[in-house]
Amino acid sequence: MTFSETYSFMNLKQPCIGLAPLGELPEAALQGVAAFIRTHLNLEARILPPFQNPTYAYDQKRGQYNAATILKAFKSMPFDDGLDKVIGLMNVDLFIPIFTHVLGEANEGGRYALASLYRLGRSADRVPASMDQIIERLVKVAIHELGHLFDVGHCLNKHCLMHYSGNLADLDATSLAFCDYCADFLAYAIRRERLPNPERQP
Amino acid sequence: MNETLRIMIVDDELIVRESLYHWFKKSGHTVEAVSSGMEALGILEKKPFEVLFVDMKMPRMNGLELLKRVKEDYPDTLVIIITAYGSIETSVEAMKLGASDYLLKPFKPDQLALVLEKIMRERKLTSECHYVRGLLEEITRFDNMIGQSPPMTAIFDLIPKVARSESSVLISGETGTGKELVAKAIHAESFRSKGPFIAMNCGALPDALLESELFGHQKGAFTGANQARKGFIEVASGGTLFLDEIGEISPKMQVDLLRVLEEKKIIRIGDREPIDVDFRLLSSTRRDLAEEVASGRFREDLLYRIKVITLHIPPLRERKEDIPLLVKHFLNKYSHETAKQVDRVAPEAVEFLKRYGWPGNVRELENAIERAVVLSKSRTLGLEDFSFIQPSPIHFGRGRTLKGVEKDYIQAVLEEQDWNVTESAKVLGVNRVSLHKMINRYQLKRPP
Repeated sequence: MTFSETYSFMNLKQPCIGLAPLGELPEAALQGVAAFIRTHLNLEARILPPFQNPTYAYDQKRGQYNAATILKAFKSMPFDDGLDKVIGLMNVDLFIPIFTHVLGEANEGGRYALASLYRLGRSADRVPASMDQIIERLVKVAIHELGHLFDVGHCLNKHCLMHYSGNLADLDATSLAFCDYCADFLAYAIRRERLPNPERQP
Repeated sequence: MNETLRIMIVDDELIVRESLYHWFKKSGHTVEAVSSGMEALGILEKKPFEVLFVDMKMPRMNGLELLKRVKEDYPDTLVIIITAYGSIETSVEAMKLGASDYLLKPFKPDQLALVLEKIMRERKLTSECHYVRGLLEEITRFDNMIGQSPPMTAIFDLIPKVARSESSVLISGETGTGKELVAKAIHAESFRSKGPFIAMNCGALPDALLESELFGHQKGAFTGANQARKGFIEVASGGTLFLDEIGEISPKMQVDLLRVLEEKKIIRIGDREPIDVDFRLLSSTRRDLAEEVASGRFREDLLYRIKVITLHIPPLRERKEDIPLLVKHFLNKYSHETAKQVDRVAPEAVEFLKRYGWPGNVRELENAIERAVVLSKSRTLGLEDFSFIQPSPIHFGRGRTLKGVEKDYIQAVLEEQDWNVTESAKVLGVNRVSLHKMINRYQLKRPP
């Protein structure tokens, strides 16, 4: 049984998730993430007009983009008030100060998240991944970060979307679904989400 | 459900604190973040943490100094050193000081997850180890006797030797000194350890009931004896019988007991047939039985029978160096039993406990720690947690000699004056020469 079959909220106004491309990104990647949100989570997904590459977050020393800086900048960007959560999708190398790199980033319970394609095209044996595989990985990263926005924490179940994947092999081992425990938690959080969000612009 | 840890991040860089804080939070851990070593120590005083992530380079107290302090005061807390300026020398030094791991910033994303996995595995092993050790302590009981003072060390050395013989042992000591523990330890170390250990308090029962309990009775032997019942001496066959407060038994019971010890046979009340018994007698008393014999209250022949070997357990006030060890032992015991995370006693509170006279000995100390743990709101027991103890360094209980009280009072005054003989002599109203003579006479020594 899929997530949407189990947790149908047809009679309620669903939270709307905005997908914000930052810089150039394949259309198929955006569509892949939006399709998963609509069909598997049964939530609204809206692809927003593209934004410029966030050069303000570029760290000269590390040659990477600081994810925490971008998330802070999102707070002052004019996103539509009707969007409950916003996921920035990009194709740059992201980091946070304590890690060498991250595939995505979100603050738990917040409004904004990031996911990047940049490191998803590789594989353990250095054979380039196919576009389908890259998009599947991006969907996993984006939905994992979306889970954090709904306050769902990391999960010990290695097949659950909320399992922490420190590398691509771990990411490939997760399935495109939540475990029962995280699915329940997410369903509860989505119901609760209809309450006002303190991070949203007035 | 995920396993969770109590984690503290100690780093002067806000961005590092924030990043680690959010990352740990996402995995469901309880996290606190502080910017200095002093702050970290302040929080550790109040509540325990399982893991500390400590930055190496911090102003005032650096990571290695904090690591050293934490390992001295909270050895169970794991410390992971994090640094952006790694070198082999510092990593070796950190590991020598007891760091569990050493991470170079920035970490690879899976590195931190692996470290946490390792910590959780270690934690599980440690708690299993504590559990098994607790079970073993329960079984052997010898480990429950705590002490490092010379008289206690002598007793620990004697127990295995005494245990291997079959001779009767008389254990003397004030109430609450742990006479029954010594008896149990002798039993546990003896060839009879697989047999029963039967303990009976002779002072708690009236004569008729004591006789029935010790020797057993036949059905109809007296009103209410609806069925035959074995006495404790019979039940102890193959094992050890411990008669607590043997000095309290009546002259008639003394005769009956003497006969049993000589003949190794008992006759149940209301019966005529003797029954063979095979037990080892351990007994205890808080009275001076030689004096009791002199005053005609205790049979001399019975005394010689029961005191083939004598062990004297000194009162707690005469072995104050054992108090910190006992405090730690009872603190562990009651913080586990009550599931309260109280694991330290402030140095001034330990000093106070050392100064107190403990008329109820180890039992009184144990009760005091239990009460303090139950009522404490902090992880550290301070002076205020022991405010219910009214300091009365001298114990005037029954059975004490004038010399004993004089010795204790002189000792208490000397300790109060930090062993300044001139000041102590002033308080005692004697001259220095007399005080020196008294110190020599009573063999008083300054505690180490």
